[in-house]
Amino acid sequence: MKYITKVSLLALSISLTTGANAENNQLNVYTWAESIDPVLIENFQKETGIEITLDSYTSNEDLLAKLKSGSSDYDVVFPSQHFVKIMIQEGLLKNIDAKNMTAFKQVDDRWKNKWWDKSSEYSIPFVYGTAGYTVNRDKYKGPANSWKEFFEPTGAAAGNVAVFSTPDEIIPAAQLYLDIDFCTEKRTDMKKVYQLLKKQKEYVAVYSSDNISSRISSGEVVMHNWWDGDSMRARKNNNAPIEYAQPKEGLVGWLDSMVVPRNSRNSDNAKTFINWMSEKDNATIEYNYYAHSSAVAIDESKAIHKKENSPEIFPTAFIKFTRACSPAAQKLVDKVWTKLLQ
Amino acid sequence: MKKLSWNFWGLLPAYLVMSLLMVLPLLIIFYVSFMTSDAYGGYKAIFSLQSYSQILYTADWDDNLVLNFQYLKIIARTLFLSGATAVICLLVSFPVAYYISRQSNNMKTLLLYLVTLPFWVSMVVRVYAWVLILSNDGVLESSLRFFGLVGDIDSLLYNNAAMMVGMVYTYIPLMILPIYASIEKLDTRLIEAASDLYSSRMNTLRRIILPLCKPGIVAGFILVLVPCLGTVLEPMLLGGGKTMMLGNLIQNQFGVARNWSFGASLTVLLLCIVLFFLMFQAHRASKLRELS
Repeated sequence: MKYITKVSLLALSISLTTGANAENNQLNVYTWAESIDPVLIENFQKETGIEITLDSYTSNEDLLAKLKSGSSDYDVVFPSQHFVKIMIQEGLLKNIDAKNMTAFKQVDDRWKNKWWDKSSEYSIPFVYGTAGYTVNRDKYKGPANSWKEFFEPTGAAAGNVAVFSTPDEIIPAAQLYLDIDFCTEKRTDMKKVYQLLKKQKEYVAVYSSDNISSRISSGEVVMHNWWDGDSMRARKNNNAPIEYAQPKEGLVGWLDSMVVPRNSRNSDNAKTFINWMSEKDNATIEYNYYAHSSAVAIDESKAIHKKENSPEIFPTAFIKFTRACSPAAQKLVDKVWTKLLQ
Repeated sequence: MKKLSWNFWGLLPAYLVMSLLMVLPLLIIFYVSFMTSDAYGGYKAIFSLQSYSQILYTADWDDNLVLNFQYLKIIARTLFLSGATAVICLLVSFPVAYYISRQSNNMKTLLLYLVTLPFWVSMVVRVYAWVLILSNDGVLESSLRFFGLVGDIDSLLYNNAAMMVGMVYTYIPLMILPIYASIEKLDTRLIEAASDLYSSRMNTLRRIILPLCKPGIVAGFILVLVPCLGTVLEPMLLGGGKTMMLGNLIQNQFGVARNWSFGASLTVLLLCIVLFFLMFQAHRASKLRELS
């Protein structure tokens, strides 16, 4: 009997998330894995007396599914731009009047009032960067300036390519390579994307968005889908022999914002946290740790990552931001992905 | 009457927990599986059998519904790999259980403790340990190379074999324990009698030991098979996410594909398969009881 329970609970845990009791000095943060400097969490708790519980995810889809199930207990989450749009549309976010928060004054003008949150009511843009791929230079000597090497790998790369485990950034990359619009509703175009990915699958070792650092740094795979700053961190902190590719077809852009889910029970603490994280000094600490570009002002004199030593986050390639796809386009994306992994 | 109500009140908390944590969620899953999926996850309360028909019929590139075996393939793969795992577990477990049962009492306790020890460690950690063992330049490959047993080999990780190794490792205690229990109960005098009657060792095993241990073997088989059917971690971490099992497919439908109704209908299907095996065993057990 115990095992029936075990198995059914496993299946059910997907739809049910447990809720903790709300306390006044509590804050539940749900963010990208290894994205916030632990020093900042400690400092914030010391300064404000608010206790932080930190959980992490590795894909926007995971985050959306959690919020959509309605029973999550998070107060601050960090979705990317197209998911901010979807979440606003689906009524999953609290209107925090972002444009009147002190944090908003720190936001770079070019990230204010964008298409995903036109009147800046729900989100404070926080970090941005690109999704591309990283090569291990010990194992791979070939060029890394096109998506061709990644999607149609040859030599040492064939059979040793690793791809993100969600379609969110890999399908746009394939679209860049094939010169197809993001979120296209044309079936013929998506069929081409499918064929490209299907052919690539023969050379793929693993589909995964977890533990990328150890996999590519150790040379277990020679090419791995990755994000700019994460790749840079591995290169700088662990001396990994890796290089972030600058494909001539372009990189997939993303921007993560801080938002408050609709059923957050500590939204005042959430706003305090958002304002605090956007303060210049804290944003600088975060920039130095997370190593992605900051959407809020930082103290340039204390910034470690500069143009000369950080090619990853000062890309020469053209950048195209992912959009929120229409249901019809999204259906095609899902079709490609399910067919690919069946 | 008084006794009955004692039972009732005593069991009430258990009933409450069961219905709240098991029956209710199952009903929700069942309900969602008959609804229409929303474009961004979630569902609309519109009755539809679409998620069930999707198991067999999916829309092709031109949106025509065509018979498609892609999901049946995943289900078949799940059944096959789970069955194979159970068979391997059985082959390995029997000698192990037999060996343990022949030890002194102290040794038995120690060995059984060692068998159950891995259960004290989180499953993610245990599966991840296999990633470290099997990966390129991992523990296994580098030691094989050190002894000159292999040259340059392809990765041992990210294939069905690696996945099975992980599954066998994870679930084997569930096979060893029931088999051990039934071997323990075995009357050794029967083995002696068999050898007195000039039965060969093989014959004794086939005609005396195995039939008497059958309840333990069947129980162990089901105990391994059932969690294998819903496994998610091993295909993801060791299989490389390239070949899906039913558990991954369900996870995918709730996450990436945002098709909750379909995910729910697959969950119902998985549950039916699991129930089938459990009922099979319950049926057998009751038959055995009747016999004795």
